[in-house]
Amino acid sequence: MDIENSKRFLPEGKHLMMGNIAMSEGAIAAGLKFFGGYPITPSTEVIEHLAVRLPQIGGVCMQMEDELASINAVIGASLVGAKAMTATSGPGISLMTETISMAANLEVPFVFCDVQRNGPGTGFVTEPHHNDIGLMRFAGNGEFQVITLAPMSCQELYDLTITAFNFAETYRCPVFIMSDAYLGHIHEVVNIPSKEEILKKVIDREIPDEITKKFSYKDDNTGKYIIPKPPIMGTDYCPTMFLSQPHSSEGLPTPKPQLFTEMMIKKITSNIDKISLTESYKLEDAELIIIAYGLPVRASYRAVDLARKEGIKVGIFRLITIWPFPDEKVKETVKDAKAVIVPELNYTGVIAEQVERVTHLSTPVVRIPNVCEIHHPNDILKIIKEVAK
Amino acid sequence: MSGIGPMYPNEKPENPYVLVSYAGHLLGNYSSRLCAGCGYGIIGHIFTRLFEDEKLDPKLYPLVLGIGCYSQMLLTVHYATQKVLSLHGRAPALATGMKMANPLMKPIIFTGDGDCLGIGGNHFIHTCRRNLDCIILIFNNSIYAMTGGQGAPTTLYGANSTTTPYKMFENRSDGVKLALAAGATYVARTTVAHPRTFMKYFRKALKHKGTSVIELITPCVTYFGRKNLNNLGAEHLGIKGEKMDTAGKMIDWIKRNSIRVNKAKFMNEEELFNKYVIGEFRYEPNKPEYSEEYAKIQKIARGDK
Repeated sequence: MDIENSKRFLPEGKHLMMGNIAMSEGAIAAGLKFFGGYPITPSTEVIEHLAVRLPQIGGVCMQMEDELASINAVIGASLVGAKAMTATSGPGISLMTETISMAANLEVPFVFCDVQRNGPGTGFVTEPHHNDIGLMRFAGNGEFQVITLAPMSCQELYDLTITAFNFAETYRCPVFIMSDAYLGHIHEVVNIPSKEEILKKVIDREIPDEITKKFSYKDDNTGKYIIPKPPIMGTDYCPTMFLSQPHSSEGLPTPKPQLFTEMMIKKITSNIDKISLTESYKLEDAELIIIAYGLPVRASYRAVDLARKEGIKVGIFRLITIWPFPDEKVKETVKDAKAVIVPELNYTGVIAEQVERVTHLSTPVVRIPNVCEIHHPNDILKIIKEVAK
Repeated sequence: MSGIGPMYPNEKPENPYVLVSYAGHLLGNYSSRLCAGCGYGIIGHIFTRLFEDEKLDPKLYPLVLGIGCYSQMLLTVHYATQKVLSLHGRAPALATGMKMANPLMKPIIFTGDGDCLGIGGNHFIHTCRRNLDCIILIFNNSIYAMTGGQGAPTTLYGANSTTTPYKMFENRSDGVKLALAAGATYVARTTVAHPRTFMKYFRKALKHKGTSVIELITPCVTYFGRKNLNNLGAEHLGIKGEKMDTAGKMIDWIKRNSIRVNKAKFMNEEELFNKYVIGEFRYEPNKPEYSEEYAKIQKIARGDK
């Protein structure tokens, strides 16, 4: 398919875009060729937009009969060498978990955008609720590691989607983009870089010069986990069989599932330095630290500025990659803090739990739970003041 | 599925097919993972033979398998084919993605009766509806054999299975009728007792542009034959029941229980009860095919005239 088409890249400059559309455009810039989806609020704009855009650049956008079929078609397309993705919401990801686990086993790269909505069950479909965050780590049966990125603006939805495709190609695992009902529907200005700049960043699917092994393995000499480029069906660079069961680096059934499971986990965790993206804001002298991701970061910036005016030393440590959880980085950051504040769009405090785990409960962790609406900066400011006392 | 033999003597054989078959035969401990009397050996053999005879390009004819006893055929069919062992029932959906991302390909899908008509019924219907260029082979042994003989959507009325210990009382699902209603453009049914007919149909399906559905009636001696009498559905004709506990008896039963489509036209519903109607049901080579239609959409979207 001819993808080097003038219509792949939007004109350089500023565009006003909806979050879901910014994500779609990011995917197209990253080289998306196949999208399989099923309409579900609040992610419907993605399939609507791609149904227009993908045929223009020689790609395929298919509305499948259900979510199960969408994700399977995505895996099929990725197996034959097309960059593929799907987008869905809570009930959709529940259905797709079966295949996510298979894709992790076959080491098929794909990108998954979860535009989260309230749950459980059908839930309140137009409100944000970061309640799939656990599912985005543990989706599917079996043990494996995935990568989850949490953008907070339309610009980041565009940029991080390109990063997500690169991660999927490099680490050959499911990569999730954590969006939500508000983020998907905000209209914001997105600064689109030039074609050359994007192409410099994008990692393409291609056959390596030196064909050795087709699946990840542990190098016995160096002890490092080596991830070869994804094989492409219909070319010479393809194993005779893709087995969705423990397999060796040649794709054959292995009698040692222990080594296979170890490899599934370690190939991601041994590369955590490259995978985990973080940002800090006024952390140098901070006594109180806000750890946030996704939409609550925006309110936190404002709250920190207001608190600094009142002389409270507070800073933000922002997680862009939430899974795998950057244990070491968080440990290092919060070691001298008086307390950690975690504003989250869920009641349980999934990331707060992780912070407690990392700090061995030595630092008090204050949760600011909020569901179906975004935090007001004053809510966070109030908690900051209370904790600072 | 019985007699789980050594799968690979070496963890890293250079060519799995050659190594397993030759080393296995030389050492004398090679065993197929299929039961004695299973029909899948015949299917695997015919598939491999046709693949070689027709000189099919393995790169253009990928094999997508669902989950069932036939998943073990992955180790016995033509070694050069590129195979994907997918999930239970999802093989047609996976093949849709493959076909659309590379329209030169023509996926060959192996599914079973429980796989295709049970859990994957929806994917099967919609693949037929789109008339996607692929071949769907449904291996119907009227039982869930890999899990140990549970009732399937295709289990015959009155049959015994582990989940219908008294008798099967549900209506039977008919893969051919479903495919016809859904819009597949080449639909046929045959049995492993008629291997030459299967070869003929399979050759035709390879040349057909559109969804081809071939249902194959195959014997499961271990879990179906062993527990059922060969007068299933023919009690009223006064046929004496006998356990179908060998391959010969089952093949015999399949032959007796199958009726040619041109003969079935003149039979009423009662006479066809629990029978398999075999033959070609539809052949429409000129219907629009999905990936070709999508290519037209791409042209419109690009603004090409």
